[in-house]
Amino acid sequence: MSGSEFLQWAAMVSLGLLTVAFFLTIFRILRGPTLPDRVLALDMLVSIGIAYIAVVAIKTNFSLYLDVAIALGLVGFLATVAFARYILQRDRNRMDDNPNAKEIQK
Amino acid sequence: MNRAALATVLALIWAAITGNFSVPNLIFGGAISLLALWLVRKDVSSPHYFRKARLAGSLALLFFYELSLSASRVALLVLSPNLKDKLKPGIIAFPLTVKSDVQITLLANLITLTPGTLSVDVSEDKKKLYVHALSVPDKQALIDDIAKGFEAKIIEVFE
Amino acid sequence: MIYEIAAYIAGIFLLMGALFSLIAAIGIVRLPDLYTRMHSASKVGTMGAGLSFLALATVAFDGPLILRAIVGFVFLMLTAPVSAHLLARAACLAGYKSDNLTELNDFAKDQ
Repeated sequence: MSGSEFLQWAAMVSLGLLTVAFFLTIFRILRGPTLPDRVLALDMLVSIGIAYIAVVAIKTNFSLYLDVAIALGLVGFLATVAFARYILQRDRNRMDDNPNAKEIQK
Repeated sequence: MNRAALATVLALIWAAITGNFSVPNLIFGGAISLLALWLVRKDVSSPHYFRKARLAGSLALLFFYELSLSASRVALLVLSPNLKDKLKPGIIAFPLTVKSDVQITLLANLITLTPGTLSVDVSEDKKKLYVHALSVPDKQALIDDIAKGFEAKIIEVFE
Repeated sequence: MIYEIAAYIAGIFLLMGALFSLIAAIGIVRLPDLYTRMHSASKVGTMGAGLSFLALATVAFDGPLILRAIVGFVFLMLTAPVSAHLLARAACLAGYKSDNLTELNDFAKDQ
């Protein structure tokens, strides 16, 4: 097997593995059970997306995909930061409304 | 002066990302860097800028090495069949000896990258760092491990 | 010759990256609570995406492109612990409970 053939084969196998990972992560998003769990799974989904784009960039030899991957990484980071702030704020508000909310965490 | 040096470094990083080292692009990058520094406002720079840059380089290497090590350890743990028996998670309070914000930040990030530990929060008075660990058979042993490993290294780098 | 070797190395990086991503996803599904899942996502998941960037850098053979791939890799490595830390802190302060396997919790004790 020559180098480029091996690379093409590796790219196909990687796409397959990433697709399985993708569906497992989606399972966690649907399943929850809490909001931070879903945020974490979304963060994971972004990094799987980055890996997808990198594989496609190698497969098609189209270098512009690299910029897309970098941008997606930075946007994903910002999204996680924003979600973390939202979780903090939301639960503070809820606890102001209902002091017992901490006990019925779901 | 220091702000200008920092802006220059940021402009070079900008040129590296855009893959274009032409003069207009460098000037554009410098303008964005100055804007970003103005947005942050606080004085982020410090006197020994270039010495620190070299130290940051050596710490970065340590960073990557630790990350790959811990990623493989956690991967092995995830794949082990009797997962529930191997887990004994807990959140411990780690007493900090390092004082400055930069050192605490660095230590917190390095702890996140070690196998099985993840920093959660710093207490208000900056004396304790809360660390989540995948398995805590012995709390004191873990604390000693961090204090003798990363914390000692960070103190050594900064003193 | 050098192209051949680079292609093989890049292929191995790609496979390892995809494998790490898959293991991270398995960890997210298998581990019992939010905080333990965070270990899997923030370390193993980042490693997966990072290795894909390294594979790109290996086959690029073009100065600016390699530099950009490496910069992307560094960004990924620097942002991963920060976002994991922020999410863990938010969940902890908001009072999300960890699994009943967790016996030791100094954070809840000090609050």
